Amino acid sequence: MTEWHDAAAADALSDDEVMGLSIAGVPVALFRQEGAFFALHDLCSHGAARLSDGFVENGCVECPLHQGLVDIRSGAPCSAPITEPVRSYPVRVVGDRIEIALNR
Amino acid sequence: MTAMPESEATYVVVGGGQAAAWIARTLRAEGFAGRLVLIGEEPHWPYERPALSKEFLRGTGSVEAITLLGAAQAGEAGIECWLGQRVTAVDRVARVVTTAGGRSVAYDTLFLATGGRARRLPGLDTVPAERVHTLRTLTESERLRGALGGAKHLLVLGGGWIGLEVAATARALGVAVTVVEAAPRLCARTMPPVVSGWLHALHEANGVRVLTGTGVAGVTGTADGIAVTLAGGGRLEADHLLLGIGIEPEVGLAAAMGLALDDGILVDAQGRTSDPRIFAAGDVARHPNAFAGASLRLESWANAQNQAIIAAKAATGGTAVYADIPWFWSDQYGVTVQMLGLPGLGTRAVARGTPEAGSGCWLMLDDTGIVAGAVAVNAARDLRVLRKLLEDGRAPLPDAWTDSATPVQRLPSRPNVGMD
Repeated sequence: MTEWHDAAAADALSDDEVMGLSIAGVPVALFRQEGAFFALHDLCSHGAARLSDGFVENGCVECPLHQGLVDIRSGAPCSAPITEPVRSYPVRVVGDRIEIALNR
Repeated sequence: MTAMPESEATYVVVGGGQAAAWIARTLRAEGFAGRLVLIGEEPHWPYERPALSKEFLRGTGSVEAITLLGAAQAGEAGIECWLGQRVTAVDRVARVVTTAGGRSVAYDTLFLATGGRARRLPGLDTVPAERVHTLRTLTESERLRGALGGAKHLLVLGGGWIGLEVAATARALGVAVTVVEAAPRLCARTMPPVVSGWLHALHEANGVRVLTGTGVAGVTGTADGIAVTLAGGGRLEADHLLLGIGIEPEVGLAAAMGLALDDGILVDAQGRTSDPRIFAAGDVARHPNAFAGASLRLESWANAQNQAIIAAKAATGGTAVYADIPWFWSDQYGVTVQMLGLPGLGTRAVARGTPEAGSGCWLMLDDTGIVAGAVAVNAARDLRVLRKLLEDGRAPLPDAWTDSATPVQRLPSRPNVGMD
């Protein structure tokens, strides 16, 4: 059964913004794209960098260390040097709160 | 250029480093279905070099963590890797590559990613070889790590990025370090004085003895180490000597082939050399750089990767050109410093935040008011937004740059052109 964790207020992010969270000890980068929310594991699959410190543009987040691009919606690698996907987590909005599921 | 289908063509990559790996990987990603041979002089599978002066040297890294193209991946992608083999000749008429071991392969398209070789000092013949180090390869990093394990004092000759990163790693390992630099300041080739001064203070604060403006008259062996005689008088003794005095681009093969050279192999914005069947990329290639308005040969991780990708795409019919603004980074004592553009050409520094205290970014303007580059200390995001501005031909107003309460993307900007 999916366990949802309270993450943030639904108005805490604007489009193309990202925030770093710790959900039950797991680092999570929470994004907003065109009004919808997406969550990725907050660690680049190439180097030890926080994606929540990255640069958001055109639906991708760019790792602040090596400039590799990750698709915000899927976690798929979009440019060198990233070749492995980043884990993405389900997100839902309940009332004015954003919730994230870590197990799936 | 060639009438035969690509699936029957043979593409050969000379070189076994980061650029070579990205050429091979990109060729397959772009659908090249012919024979693909990578010939590397080092015995290792292609790897990234930045960790060699940091985590890997310290002993907290691994070969696996830095490998870019391993045996399994090469096998899956159908990339033939001839490792530990040196190419000795390329016949451009017959289009055949020959190795020292006598193997040969005919090519339709050739890539040269031969990198560079760490510069050495003349007159070191009398110094015990096991006391003298350079740092370019994985093997050299392992050798230096072994030496640092039993060392009390390391002498670093050359206050550039490699020398300073090794100094920082050696300090973390509890080794005393002296850095001797002939120029009046550290990283003088690429950095403005304000950054040199900050690096100097950073290293001294971490216990490094830094001697700038100090030439070396000679190096000799002692009973249990080395001794350096300074040009201005004085003598320094240490257990080991690291030469961090730059690299020489490995152009021997290209010279013998008659390709156009100028401190490196000359290439166009797609990595093509003076022979249209031959591409070059990485540390060895000198490319026309749009941001600089000049040709540059860059010795950086980003250049090795991204120039290689463009060259491989061009060889498979791509039209993209390499137009990146120069960018690189260094990690020392837990501080990440990132450089954008050509900050060394700036004559006026405008600080955002307090980079000298560990968080901020210097914007570097030249005499005409053009932003030549920037140097960020633990401020990657600011630098990234600045890159976006510069890519669009714009620059923040210098007076606004100091307003660290306002995000860089909201600062007023103007076209990045001269004011006079």
